[in-house]
Amino acid sequence: MSYEVVIGLEVHVELSTQSKLFCGCSAMFGADPNENVCPACSGMPGMPAVTNKKAVELGIAAGLLTNSEITRVMTFDKKNYFYPDLPTGYQITQLFAPICKNGWIDIETGSGVRRITLKQIHIEEDAGKLVHDNRCDASLIDFNRTSVPLIEIVSNPDLRTSEEVVAYLSKLRLLLSFAGISDCKMQEGSMRCDVNISVRRSGSGKLGTRTEIKNLNSFKAIARAIEYESERHIEALETGCETIIQETRRFDDGKGETFSMRGKEDATDYRYFPNPELMPVCISDEWIEAVRATLPETAQDKFTRLTKELNLPEYDAKIITGSRNLSVIFDETMQRFHNPKEIANWIIVELLSIAKGDNKGEDDIVIDEKKFATLMKLCENKTINRNVAKKILIKVFEEGVDPERYVEEHKLGMVTDTAFLENIVRDVLLENEKSVLEYKNGNQKVIGFFVGKIMNKSQGKADPKIVNELLRKLLDD
Amino acid sequence: MSYYISGCMTGKNDQTLVAIEDSIMQKGRPVTAGSKILSGFTSPLDATVISRLEAGGYAVSGKTKMREFGLLPLCEEACEASGAVRAVADGAVSFALCNDFSGVTRREAAENGICYIHPTYGCVSRYGLIPSACSMDQIGIVCRDIVEGFGLLSVIAGNDEKDGAMYPDKSYVYEPLDKKIKAFVPENVLTAAIPEDKAAVLALSSHFDGVSTELAYFDVLNKAQYILSCAEISANLSRYDGVKFGFRADRYNNLDGLYVNTRTQGFGLDAKLALIMGSMVLSKEYYTPCYEKALKLRRVIKDSLDFKSYDVILLPLRITGGAYESSAVHALAALAGLPCVSFSYNGGGVQILAAPKNENALLTVVKAVTR
Repeated sequence: MSYEVVIGLEVHVELSTQSKLFCGCSAMFGADPNENVCPACSGMPGMPAVTNKKAVELGIAAGLLTNSEITRVMTFDKKNYFYPDLPTGYQITQLFAPICKNGWIDIETGSGVRRITLKQIHIEEDAGKLVHDNRCDASLIDFNRTSVPLIEIVSNPDLRTSEEVVAYLSKLRLLLSFAGISDCKMQEGSMRCDVNISVRRSGSGKLGTRTEIKNLNSFKAIARAIEYESERHIEALETGCETIIQETRRFDDGKGETFSMRGKEDATDYRYFPNPELMPVCISDEWIEAVRATLPETAQDKFTRLTKELNLPEYDAKIITGSRNLSVIFDETMQRFHNPKEIANWIIVELLSIAKGDNKGEDDIVIDEKKFATLMKLCENKTINRNVAKKILIKVFEEGVDPERYVEEHKLGMVTDTAFLENIVRDVLLENEKSVLEYKNGNQKVIGFFVGKIMNKSQGKADPKIVNELLRKLLDD
Repeated sequence: MSYYISGCMTGKNDQTLVAIEDSIMQKGRPVTAGSKILSGFTSPLDATVISRLEAGGYAVSGKTKMREFGLLPLCEEACEASGAVRAVADGAVSFALCNDFSGVTRREAAENGICYIHPTYGCVSRYGLIPSACSMDQIGIVCRDIVEGFGLLSVIAGNDEKDGAMYPDKSYVYEPLDKKIKAFVPENVLTAAIPEDKAAVLALSSHFDGVSTELAYFDVLNKAQYILSCAEISANLSRYDGVKFGFRADRYNNLDGLYVNTRTQGFGLDAKLALIMGSMVLSKEYYTPCYEKALKLRRVIKDSLDFKSYDVILLPLRITGGAYESSAVHALAALAGLPCVSFSYNGGGVQILAAPKNENALLTVVKAVTR
């Protein structure tokens, strides 16, 4: 018997606005607890909500990028429930007239391109954060995140495999991050995903009983949770030992299993109703076109530009446009150093491996592009050799040193004085007569050995080209 | 002074004093909206009306007592009029500001021989007003003289970017219209009125050309208002949970206990009734037959008003029946967001309603009949 796994996703993405959705507080991540808080977003009475226009514009942009219909008269609703991280006792969200409907995006997996349709995108406010303090056995509330604008992107149950889910999420992240709609960082919670999953016999038109999985903190966890949960469903269908019930389940990353959180019968009645304190937002054609005009280059556009205009190999372009952060670093560096291939090499070969050693993903790399460009210039005009440059790059990455000053202070300038280098080369050859004999007997590989020794003696500063020429000259004499 | 919860005289001797209801927030001062649930809460800011009063040379005299969240007194009988009405009636102040979404203050003002101006919904900022029913909340003016009251209204009215549901007009000029006013005197409402008010409305209407048909949906106005206001109140009162500010129960064993005990001890009966009603009409089961129906009704009620055929609507302030039944006569202004003035006339209570932002029609009527 073969089975089909049916998956729909609810993806929450924090919008990159300066301020919160209904008040003027900063929406920045990483502030001290309750630093970005005012009477309105901490639930005090008497502060009417005022809609952040920028959030609506980012919602429109998300709709345009996902080929959605944009709602012309958008309204907000109140969703009522009690929880300490929700200071007003209601969340302002969109149920009746969400900003976008009926969109789609194309995803690419090993088995080709497939179109995934979206039910809707709606704007809503985020809740705060509860932290349990074991020292004083108290729950502490941080309202910094309260009322930070989110969009929730709800897909139809079009996805079939964890590979497709990861491709879908990657595509969304690429679209949204390149457009500046969100930075989409799962580890910071600016991108979150709930998975709705059910299993049916292949060919069956009827959907199976669905479960919803929450607490998914990475693409990897999402894929693992889907694998686990679909197997659980299939086993239940095959053996009949367990009955799948409609419920919400939590994924335990450590155990790699899902656990029941609450059943359908425990589902809260959220008593949604139209928010009477917010006027409907009218979205005109002009407004939509104005937003469209400000949309920056998509990852796809940038890939085309890098390969066609800058003649980068597709491999390089794909890596650079696979991350909004890398492509920003690339562009910013290009402003100061006009050698696309060289920049691509430095990013892909050096920067990524340094970041990896520092346990940082490509989206977390922070580097001063001006210093990065200076370093490449120093290398290009032969002030320093490549090996020294690599070492300085680590210093730039870790400590933010200024490459020019660093080279000066540490006297790392490349040594091109032929007479001086010839002395070193002679010394090395004299000290390693055995290897010289090997060379004479036809072993070319010892050249590398000599170069290493010479570099050592010159503290890595020798011009490799001159060193090679000198070696050949002296050895072949 | 029994009408005040707290005095907070801020003015100099030559300034006109304005009392404010305890639902209007004044920086650094306690504000309770008449509820124990807000005991201990200090306002972090000044309501926009406070800053405008002060900028306009008026001084705040103190905060007046009010029914809990200004609710209709259905469970707890009110033994005396609100502090705002009594303060003005006794001559302690010339004006008082309050939120009269339920219409009770409108009635009390006339009963005490003074007047009330309920401005068009969305003309006076509600920044710093403790919300009850957002779609009806509106700060109005208790005054002895309506013309003077409009003088104060021009000081506090006008768009405020901190309130997201306002008309864009920066300011308003209130002056009588140079036209013959036509009045709509609904027969069916008059029939239900108490005799004094019926006589008063008829005496008032004799000054104007009249249209006298029936007021559509009169029998369900109070129901629609009650359903919608309770729903909104139930959401607006959710923030009072004992977690962040205001009253918190002494004893509780867990989070639910904190909520239940705090809210049980903190709210009065009318608030509890509104919470239960509001939660019920918003529940899955009752949303469509109750809440949604009331919303639709509100729309058709608004649409049924024909301000092309008349300028103002004359209504009594009291009809026969209990507090709930009588609220029908006050529901129209709240449901349709209409401006309204109330006062006593010929021994009865009357209210005059006009189209949104047509306060000048009200002023015209008042000037004509009090000349």
